[in-house]
Amino acid sequence: MTSETIGRATMPGRFLRVLDAVTLVANVAGSCLIVGLVILITADVIGREALGAPVSGVPELVSLSIVAIVFLQAPQALRAGRLTRSDGVLDAIKSRKPRLADALETVFDLVGIAVLGAILYAHWPIMTRAWERNDFVGAVGDFTAPTWPVKAMLAVGAALLALQFVARILRRYLS
Amino acid sequence: DSFNATVVAGHPGVFRWVKMVDEAFVPGVNAALEGSGHTMSFDGQYGGSIAKVGDELETVEAGLAEIGICQSLFDPAKLAVQNVTYYTPFVNDDPRAVSDLMDELHKSDPRMTEAYTQNGVVYLGAPVGIDDYLLMTKFPIADLGDLDGKKIAAPGPAINWLSGTGAVGVSGNLTTYYNELQAGVYDGVIVFASAALPGKLYEVAPYVTRAGLGAQYAGALCANADWYDDLPDEAKQALHTGADAAKEWYLAALEGAVETSFKVMGENGATITDASDEMRAAWAAGMDNAAKTWAEGLDGQGIPGSEVLSLYMDTMRGEGATPLRNWDQE
Amino acid sequence: MTPFEIGLIALALMGFLVLLGMHVPIALIACSFLGVWAIKGSPLLASKMLGLAANDAISSYFFGVVPLFVLMGFLVSESGMGRDSFDVANAMFRRIKGGLGIGTIAANTIFAAITGISIASAAVFTKIAVPELRRHGYTPRFSVGLVAGSSVLGMLIPPSLLLILYGLLTEQSIGDLFLAGVGPGLLLAILFGMGTVLMALFVPGIVGQNLGQVEAPLSARQLLAKGLPITLLIALVLGGIYVGFFTPVEAGAIGTVGALLIGLAKGTLNAKSLWRVLVETGLVTAAVCFLIVAAQMYSRMLSFSGLPGAFGEIVASAELGLYGLILIYVLVVILFGMILDSSSIMLILVPLMLPVVVPMGVDLVWFGIITVIAVEVGLLTPPFGISVYVIKSTLDDPYIKLSDIFIGAAPFAVMMLVCLAAVVFFPVIATGLLGR
Ligand code: NA
Ligand code: NA
Repeated sequence: MTSETIGRATMPGRFLRVLDAVTLVANVAGSCLIVGLVILITADVIGREALGAPVSGVPELVSLSIVAIVFLQAPQALRAGRLTRSDGVLDAIKSRKPRLADALETVFDLVGIAVLGAILYAHWPIMTRAWERNDFVGAVGDFTAPTWPVKAMLAVGAALLALQFVARILRRYLS
Repeated sequence: DSFNATVVAGHPGVFRWVKMVDEAFVPGVNAALEGSGHTMSFDGQYGGSIAKVGDELETVEAGLAEIGICQSLFDPAKLAVQNVTYYTPFVNDDPRAVSDLMDELHKSDPRMTEAYTQNGVVYLGAPVGIDDYLLMTKFPIADLGDLDGKKIAAPGPAINWLSGTGAVGVSGNLTTYYNELQAGVYDGVIVFASAALPGKLYEVAPYVTRAGLGAQYAGALCANADWYDDLPDEAKQALHTGADAAKEWYLAALEGAVETSFKVMGENGATITDASDEMRAAWAAGMDNAAKTWAEGLDGQGIPGSEVLSLYMDTMRGEGATPLRNWDQE
Repeated sequence: MTPFEIGLIALALMGFLVLLGMHVPIALIACSFLGVWAIKGSPLLASKMLGLAANDAISSYFFGVVPLFVLMGFLVSESGMGRDSFDVANAMFRRIKGGLGIGTIAANTIFAAITGISIASAAVFTKIAVPELRRHGYTPRFSVGLVAGSSVLGMLIPPSLLLILYGLLTEQSIGDLFLAGVGPGLLLAILFGMGTVLMALFVPGIVGQNLGQVEAPLSARQLLAKGLPITLLIALVLGGIYVGFFTPVEAGAIGTVGALLIGLAKGTLNAKSLWRVLVETGLVTAAVCFLIVAAQMYSRMLSFSGLPGAFGEIVASAELGLYGLILIYVLVVILFGMILDSSSIMLILVPLMLPVVVPMGVDLVWFGIITVIAVEVGLLTPPFGISVYVIKSTLDDPYIKLSDIFIGAAPFAVMMLVCLAAVVFFPVIATGLLGR
């Protein structure tokens, strides 16, 4: 059930290829953020212990980054079949009534699209206002970081995750 | 009519500023409503069950809760000017004076309430005053030079207070102070007595130095603006009356706790000293003027930072406080 | 319908959807959305709750280090240190049936002194221990069950995120709580070890046939070569924490750098394997933390329904003796553990119980240890058992089902109850180190 079994030149085929590529980019960005955290914390520890000069704002950056890491990588986790689920009952249905199992999975995917839509709908004003009002974390005079980049990454991640649910439905019926 | 209000706090109910809701605010509102024909029932959701620390304002604004303890200290972008006390150390060490003054300014000056209006909430009152910040260290402090090279943890904007002391400022908070002090990650912390006692910090940092860094304002009760606007006048008034009762209860409880804290810490082997005038003067003189940076930054965003800074300092001086630095006039 | 009833329905619906095979986080979010909509009467408010929780729920320093501990574990595994340490453990315990199982528990006990969160232990040891256990003839179910079970040590042996939380809620000294966690933690590790040996001897069908007779004994030189790198890493991490160079939270980053350097020195890591490890870390982090976000939404919905508070009040108001009260309390905590995450249970129940137990003269440190053990049983119980979920998403093996892990973990949940009973009846296990 890879995208390649759907005609590459068809509209859905192109959509799936582009979506998977963008999902991979988000995944790589998330991995880079993890490396960034390792470097940041190590620099803070060494700076504090060896040089008497800690890096400012590490707790704030860590708590911001984790949100971005999770939402940027969740789409790839779904694509790779890594989001937690209990598949015992579904497998049993699949072996007897494959069409019913497909229908059930499609309903589940639609629910996924719906809840992510709700999250995005509520998140949008939160994100635009963080941008308009220069929302930040930290303390002025010591360290501040704007919150909008992370809120934008959350939006991108949630949208990609919703699209990956769409992709599951397409792959199920078009391949 | 009968009204329902969910009250959110990120801190759990053991914290005094959360306890004041059930102990004084709710009974105060109910007492004020007696005979008006209105009733109000409250559902306290504390300890992050609905909103985490610093997210209370957003939750109230969204209408998920009607009332919240809006923490300006932990929400410095949205409640910016409210952090004026944290940028003006060495001004006043009396939490009652700071709370009264901030409460009064919120009631009389629209520049203070603007931040609430812009975020869709209404200031009710009951300021969360914090008692005088002090130093607790693993080593004795005779003069400012003793801080040189030492790792001192401080919360939020208070990390600016360490500039010029030679100490290495590490950002930290109450939840980790004890462990990190014990492990030796920090050599000391900036903290207030009423939290140092329950946190048992004197066990790991027994040298308490009162330097008069100052009492602070950390937040207040706020209500969702749409919900509040739809209330009848008697109910609105009752919320403010309840908030005033909560303020009284909170300050009395805080003052009692501060007294007990010093007594018990002393009995448990803590060495409590007052910093010399020379040390305080040297400390204040050596600090960066973070207040100015902060206020001018706000001015640039169209928020009256410098005006509020002057307003606060002028009113404090008018009430007889003698700041070690006139942060607004440099 | 009252909010209370809505809460009950939302619970049942969540269980049903998860059983049917919906992705667990999606089921949690959907039930939260419908629940808040029904309680507050507004789909707009319900979506605002989701939006705020998506932004706030994991935005904390403590969650921020989850990927670092996972990354460290993967590096240990990829660089071959994991396999080496199990060869050593196997060599040491090779004469005992179930020796490698004991080795896993021992390694987990040591790792528990580094990490403060059980999900880190679960992720790390899934990667290190499960392949080795299976290679040595342990059944898949027992292998994952053992890792799930011993992961709970992560939050009982200090440092512990749960004990810190409890200390803040009850104004108890966190230092005292940490000391009090050592005895029960070691007792639990010993119980796990004994249980493993007994099961290996008497019910080999569960544990696995032909254990521990696979390898030839290691020479002293081999022992040193295999044992030294991991010993160095543990010394770096534990030593750094105890000397005060860094915090247990920061240890995730330092340990990662340490594991990386050792792996490079050993020549077992290259650019390709590093990239694979990094991507894998991201997938595990996303799966685990997305679940935590969803669980937060779900517990906020339950708070709106008033369900947890009502349950707690029934317990608090029932007129029971101390042991009766503790028994009911533990039952409620375990019940909550089936549906809620650890810190939510603590935040809901502890404040409710405090006014009840304080007048009875209960030692709050002892009560805290009991609470933490009972809460941690919930990590292993279906339908919502976070340690089990973490293992499932870390393992990435379609042949091991969630239900297999829950079944495998069941004996260890029972051993936890034995440990819990021992601490209840012999408080000295917890408070002995405090001289009480
Ligand atoms: Na631990
Ligand atoms: Na559970």
